[in-house]
Amino acid sequence: MEDFLYEVVEITQAIWDGLLFGSTYALIGIGFTLIFGAMGKLNMAYAGAAIAGSYVGLAVSMFFDAPIILVFAVSALVSALMGYIVYQTCFRFIPTHNHLAALMASVGGLFLIDEVIVLATRGSPMNFPALFEDAYFEIGPFGIRGDLIFVFFIGLVSTVVLLYVLFKTRLGMATRAVAQQDVAAQLCGINIHRTNSITFSIAGLLGGIAGAMTAAAVGVLSPVIILPLTIKGLIVTVIGGLGSIPGAIIAGLFVGGFENFFLYVRGIDERDMYVVALLFIFLVFRPNGLFSKTINRD
Amino acid sequence: MKHLSKLMGASLLLIALSIPQSAIYAGPSLKVLGWGAKSGPLKSFGVNSEAALRSAVAEINSAGGVRMGDGSMAPMEVIGYEDSACKKDEAIAILRKTASTTDAIVGMGTTCSGVCQAMFGVLQKKVEDTSDSGVQMPILADTCIRPGLAKISEWSFRNVPNEITMYDELFKWLRTAYPNVKTFTGGSETDQGHSFITYTAIIVQMAVKHGFEWVGPAVPALGPKVKQGMKELQAAAKSQHWLMGDTNYTVQARKIKKQNADMILVASHPFSACGFMKEMKRQRIKPKLLVGLTSSASQETLNGCMSAAEGIIIPTGFAPITPEAKKANSIVSKAGGFLDLHSSAAWENAYLVKRAVERAAIMGRPDTLQQDRRNFRNALASISSQKGLIGPLTRDGSTGEAEKPYVYVQVVNGKWKVIHDPNS
Amino acid sequence: MDFYLNLINTIGIHTMLGLSAYLLLQTGQLSLAQAGFFAVGSYTAAILTVIFQWNIFPAVLAAMFLAGFLAFLVGFPALRVKGLTLVVATIAFSEFVRMFFYNLKWRVTRNGEEIGPDGTMGFAEIRYFSDNGWSNLEVTFFLWTFVIIVMGIVWWSDNSRSGAVLRAVGEDELAASSVGINLTVIKVSAMTAGGFIAGLAGGLYAHQVTSLDHHSFTVLLGTFAIAYPILGGLSNVFGTLVAVIFIQGLLVEGLRFLGDWRMILFGLLIVLAMNFKPLGLFDKHTIGIIKKVIRV
Repeated sequence: MEDFLYEVVEITQAIWDGLLFGSTYALIGIGFTLIFGAMGKLNMAYAGAAIAGSYVGLAVSMFFDAPIILVFAVSALVSALMGYIVYQTCFRFIPTHNHLAALMASVGGLFLIDEVIVLATRGSPMNFPALFEDAYFEIGPFGIRGDLIFVFFIGLVSTVVLLYVLFKTRLGMATRAVAQQDVAAQLCGINIHRTNSITFSIAGLLGGIAGAMTAAAVGVLSPVIILPLTIKGLIVTVIGGLGSIPGAIIAGLFVGGFENFFLYVRGIDERDMYVVALLFIFLVFRPNGLFSKTINRD
Repeated sequence: MKHLSKLMGASLLLIALSIPQSAIYAGPSLKVLGWGAKSGPLKSFGVNSEAALRSAVAEINSAGGVRMGDGSMAPMEVIGYEDSACKKDEAIAILRKTASTTDAIVGMGTTCSGVCQAMFGVLQKKVEDTSDSGVQMPILADTCIRPGLAKISEWSFRNVPNEITMYDELFKWLRTAYPNVKTFTGGSETDQGHSFITYTAIIVQMAVKHGFEWVGPAVPALGPKVKQGMKELQAAAKSQHWLMGDTNYTVQARKIKKQNADMILVASHPFSACGFMKEMKRQRIKPKLLVGLTSSASQETLNGCMSAAEGIIIPTGFAPITPEAKKANSIVSKAGGFLDLHSSAAWENAYLVKRAVERAAIMGRPDTLQQDRRNFRNALASISSQKGLIGPLTRDGSTGEAEKPYVYVQVVNGKWKVIHDPNS
Repeated sequence: MDFYLNLINTIGIHTMLGLSAYLLLQTGQLSLAQAGFFAVGSYTAAILTVIFQWNIFPAVLAAMFLAGFLAFLVGFPALRVKGLTLVVATIAFSEFVRMFFYNLKWRVTRNGEEIGPDGTMGFAEIRYFSDNGWSNLEVTFFLWTFVIIVMGIVWWSDNSRSGAVLRAVGEDELAASSVGINLTVIKVSAMTAGGFIAGLAGGLYAHQVTSLDHHSFTVLLGTFAIAYPILGGLSNVFGTLVAVIFIQGLLVEGLRFLGDWRMILFGLLIVLAMNFKPLGLFDKHTIGIIKKVIRV
């Protein structure tokens, strides 16, 4: 009985930690889903831009000894700017129906970002300042990471602000209009390119927040995390349902908890295989994800 | 058509340009070609090794150069240092390029063990085996730490510390220096061959050998001999390991915390080692001793987590503790690189090459190239001991395994400090 | 000579990798699964020649069939989804295969030495060519025989009804199905054919590099596999070949002296190429020009 209770505690702890960390996956998933929702396209440079923003934030903290909040803000803003640049260079001039070329261009952007980071850091991992690093509370047998709660909180706030912008502002309405039916949106006088660039910037902002939160949660930055984050983000987007923000949120949290559960129960070698298996189950039984959004495109 | 021919022309031109031009010295010179990772996340390896190699060669040349087969002194010439990005295909391409289009006597590189494994595989296995069509070109690698590489080919040489010896002596010393440390546990990155094998086949076993008690998940088969209980250990401790690029170490740290060990082993390269150690700090895990993997005894670990890594002890093949080492250190720093256990081997290799050349009577003419390479290889194989930066380098002629001196360093106040030199 | 032959071999293997993605891309499906089939081909051929001491020719063929069969099995469930979902599904499949091989341990003792795949340490000493005294020229001929056959088959496909059917599915699925084309059959066939080709390429690759580990088979490889046909253009086999020559010959090998800047330049070139020639280098426009010049 004692053993059983012990296991329950440990499993709960693992799921809890994973869930909180999953808020970063949720943010990345929202970013992918926003872009997909708006343009029906995949931006492979997304996680790269998110992490690159954090590097700039880090540089700011190293040269100007800035407070951490400023570091996060700079990271987010730089990633937003990079989102804008990625749109202009990889998506804007490519014909709308040509998904392959845009994808390839964003892959090129990813290689570029990755290698620029390596060039700037000589390939070395870099220490990233953390907020609430010492905030670790032990409540009974459980250990609660204060910084992860902060990460979760920021994720929550970002999502709420995003939803507000999307549903309560004209800008948001324009974004949703373009996502639903871009020809009709143009007929209503909405400038597609301006709206899409703003969508990319907003997605970039979210990515930058996710990147900074991830960097702060791990405490170290390295380009080696870009690819795993891209893959997890994409899996979260698909499980949540393409184009669905609530889907991305729930899927992100779920995948976070799920992978930590399997890490505890089955060990590191099988952990990612279970995440892939989860995706396959969804693809077989619910290919449109948790909350499918059929986007009618001509 | 215009576009196509322009494209083809440009391609051919650039491929031609990529062949290193050996035109620096008008007279005869002893040519070597180096390669390593100058791009990608392991970029520091190549940058440091190149700086070390070129600096050492410059030192050799300013002291007169090397004696060729006809008795004259000639300069050593690094005709190129190519970027292999720690990728197998690229290193093999560079190897074949060096062997077939240049008159370099030896190829010097790389640092990444997985790459060496592939590179050595394309070499001729045994020198006398004429039915083996593998490449016949000596390779002298700086590092490439991984057990089992020496046997792949007789043309391959590595200047690499012996991890079995290093960890054996480390735990022997720790037992006496820290008598209140009795129990241990640890974690490793499983998707990096070198880290995981060294941890599960060598480090843990050496700790057991010197009387430390394993308090991780039960592994009855675990014993004091290298590889003893390795499979069982790998199977038992799965949830306290991680992957190289992982971002969340809470489960692993918590598990290890519960084991309440006096000593914790972190067998991982800098990024994930730092991620794990930061989590340890967060969860207030304060072992009496922290021991790390050789590859993390570098500047990268300090860049990533100076304060979380405080106190970690790692065996390394280089520290500026002798006059030669100090001098080399300052020369290489001026050249834009760091001397650490990886790149110091590149420096030492230059001197090793000089010694082998002078033993081998290298003629250095284009028509003697293949014979020169063979003679060089034989001479290098016959060297059983060579002066290194912090002590003698030795090589066992029959197994091909190398040994070199080592010291133990520890992060003290954010810097690496030598805390024990087993040879003094 | 050795160096150039090696480069030609690399170009050959990558061309096959690119062509394995080519057919499915023509149907408008973006699949990043090629790395997975390539890995299966590599390990299968290597296990057969090293552990079971097969001759290389049947080993490579067996690798091809196994990878093709796997592609067939994967095709049915995978191709029920499209677009971004398919991309993610194939990435996940590729990663699953990679993780499988990173866990694979199959050690055999021969002549006092242990050989075979060893988990994360990888699979070393796949020495069929050098053990059997093949000269570099022989290896190149062997390899390129396969490449030319594959190119020939794909060329034939492009210029026959099957190519038209593939392109029809790629242009407009609704219209294609309304003229009686069975979409599922076509897409699964394209994927299976791609699996065959990738498996073949992988089997040859294993013997070229003599050592395999999971680091070689990441999503990055899958990205290169689709990059070649997209950059080269989906209407002509030679487009893929030229793209491979450009990337592997010019960028990777020729510009090696640039170090870091190689990848940066590579990224930049891809972005520029896609903006100026979104249908690839050898799109219909360029081919029209080439045809005119050849006629002249």
